[in-house]
Amino acid sequence: MSEALLETKPKLWESALETIVSDDGALRVSSPDTRVAALDRYRITTANRERPGRYWKLDLDALDERLSNLAMAPARANFSGGTAPALVLCDLESAIQGDAAGFQSAFGRAIAHAPGKYAALTQALQRGGAFVHIPADVCVDEPIVVTYRAENRTASFPYTLIVADRGSSATIIERHEADDGNVFVSGITEVIAHDSSAIMHAAVQRLPEDAIAFFTRSALLERNAHVSWSAAELGAHLTGSTIFCAIEGLGAASHIAALFFPHGEQHVDFITTTDHLAGESQSRTVIKSAATGNGQARYLGNIRIAATMHGCDASLKDDALLLSPHAHIDSVPALEIAANDVKAFHGATVGALDDESIFYMMTRGLTRDEAERMITLGFFEPALDHFPTAALREELRQELARKIAS
Amino acid sequence: MPDRGLRISGLRVSVAGNDILKGIDLNVEPGRVHALMGPNGSGKSTLALALAGHPGYEISGSATLDGLDLLAISPDKRARAGLFLSFQYPAAIPGVKVSSFLQATRQAVKPGDLPPAKFRQLVMEKMDLLDMDPSFLGRYLNDGFSGGEKKRLEMLQLAVLAPKYAILDETDSGLDIDALRAVGESLGAMRKDAATKEIGLLIITHYPRILQHISADVVHIMVDGRIVKEGGPELAHTIEREGYDSLREVAAVSV
Ligand SMILES: Nc1ncnc2c1ncn2[C@@H]1O[C@H](COP(=O)(O)OP(=O)(O)OP(=O)(O)O)[C@@H](O)[C@H]1O
Ligand SMILES: [Mg+2]
Repeated sequence: MSEALLETKPKLWESALETIVSDDGALRVSSPDTRVAALDRYRITTANRERPGRYWKLDLDALDERLSNLAMAPARANFSGGTAPALVLCDLESAIQGDAAGFQSAFGRAIAHAPGKYAALTQALQRGGAFVHIPADVCVDEPIVVTYRAENRTASFPYTLIVADRGSSATIIERHEADDGNVFVSGITEVIAHDSSAIMHAAVQRLPEDAIAFFTRSALLERNAHVSWSAAELGAHLTGSTIFCAIEGLGAASHIAALFFPHGEQHVDFITTTDHLAGESQSRTVIKSAATGNGQARYLGNIRIAATMHGCDASLKDDALLLSPHAHIDSVPALEIAANDVKAFHGATVGALDDESIFYMMTRGLTRDEAERMITLGFFEPALDHFPTAALREELRQELARKIAS
Repeated sequence: MPDRGLRISGLRVSVAGNDILKGIDLNVEPGRVHALMGPNGSGKSTLALALAGHPGYEISGSATLDGLDLLAISPDKRARAGLFLSFQYPAAIPGVKVSSFLQATRQAVKPGDLPPAKFRQLVMEKMDLLDMDPSFLGRYLNDGFSGGEKKRLEMLQLAVLAPKYAILDETDSGLDIDALRAVGESLGAMRKDAATKEIGLLIITHYPRILQHISADVVHIMVDGRIVKEGGPELAHTIEREGYDSLREVAAVSV
């Protein structure tokens, strides 16, 4: 029953909900009432996201129709890599069934800061997913790799909850892949970083290029916690990606590094929001985007520091590179800073490759293509730098190089 | 081999509608050192950049490298044919490491001639000659480099790429005494090395100082887009004493 095909009728998500209603495991994670309420939020939230980009082409209200021939599949997480004594890695249903420590109090806490249409949809339709619990003072050295592989012609709602207890540290690499196109993925990742914990999360989205993907990633930082998000949105036809940081603890620090590179007909909509809800907190945001072919992107970067938050230090740097005359990137940094004893920096650039740089490199024997490839890859380096492991950085470079050559 | 040399004849260059070079004849011979001097704005860099293939110049006349028509080919092909330009103002390329750039350019200019270990050894030797710290290899190309560091990196690239002809556009400007000596030693070493001893050098400079480290066989003086005088090494000192004023008159008369 849990993998029953959706009926092909307009009320797609309602019927998906019916599927869940018959899934006891899923209902223990999140009650029918909660799910119905989330679905209502999904319905009433404007489809074109709060402020649509100029080049937004897809009518998301028509998406329900478009997806009506997809089956709803539970999101199965595959774990590999890092281990440590008492480290918990399991799906959400098992976590709740086993009454896993730290689960109940954490679930939904960070995402509450990140309202959004597709976060609501994921909250309504979540099945499967992953729970990562790092107990107090445990340091997981090797990165924990969580891989979601969407099945062909399915819609799935991977929900990852990461709870880092006091003084713990870990690196989590979250991958989204699929063998075949025509998948819809809407995911949530929550990070609850308790006092003095350090979490590094890297999201690598390499779905096939006719997929539709939405991700909402939200972190809640307590005292002196460190959270670093890095996200590479490389696949999918349409990607809507949102990263939130709610800094609630004094002395906490967040870091966001993101890269995306729409080519062909790809479209990426990327939003970051950092809320300094505590004083003496620090945030860094580094966004590197390029577009080629008819690729389109929109970046919205928010930093908020309330009037009573003293001694905060925030910076946002966002650079966009246009590699073809038909590519577009809109970039909208927005700093709302009410406090006056804070440091805040923001810088945004949009430009093409520099002719003098290309010429310089060509005088060293490199072809124009090689020069452009090297300069473009170099452009991404400051964001790549924040991804864990040399192997992952190299994988991303190769994928970027493939897109440059496309 | 017939017709060796970097041969420039009747070269005219205009930029954005302005005639900058008004007919340059100059031959750089293999194994020889040519100095090119001239007042600011006389067209020295324009000549260097035109030879390297700068886009956006309108060019007539001819320039050949060992018989190969340079003006017909793209900048990268000129480099692969054996031409090198040390830029007066090298570009900074963030995110591209010096080490990978050196490797990629050597591979482009001399494909597959050195196994990686040998290549690293070569780079280390050349850096040592130029008094460069190996940490430069991990930095981004010219990004945040001081003026003098950029010039040293140009010289490192010259040594690593081992071209047949090299144009040094004010490489000596902005170098401290020690760096200037190091550059002189690096060039001297290239002229002794069997692989590069036939290199033809065109050294663009305002000061005879660099010529104490590497002596010029010929000195050419450019004024207002023309070569107005040529002579032996002593010409550089005459210029230093007397300036370009008397030569400007020559240029004016020859219009
Ligand atoms: N892109 C351009 N547009 C207009 N004029 C230009 C351009 N490039 C060069 N020029 C002019 O051409 C002339 C020659 O410039 P060039 O840089 O070749 O001089 P130079 O001899 O190298 O001078 P310096 O000793 O100061 O380096 C100058 O008057 C300069 O302003
Ligand atoms: Mg010059």
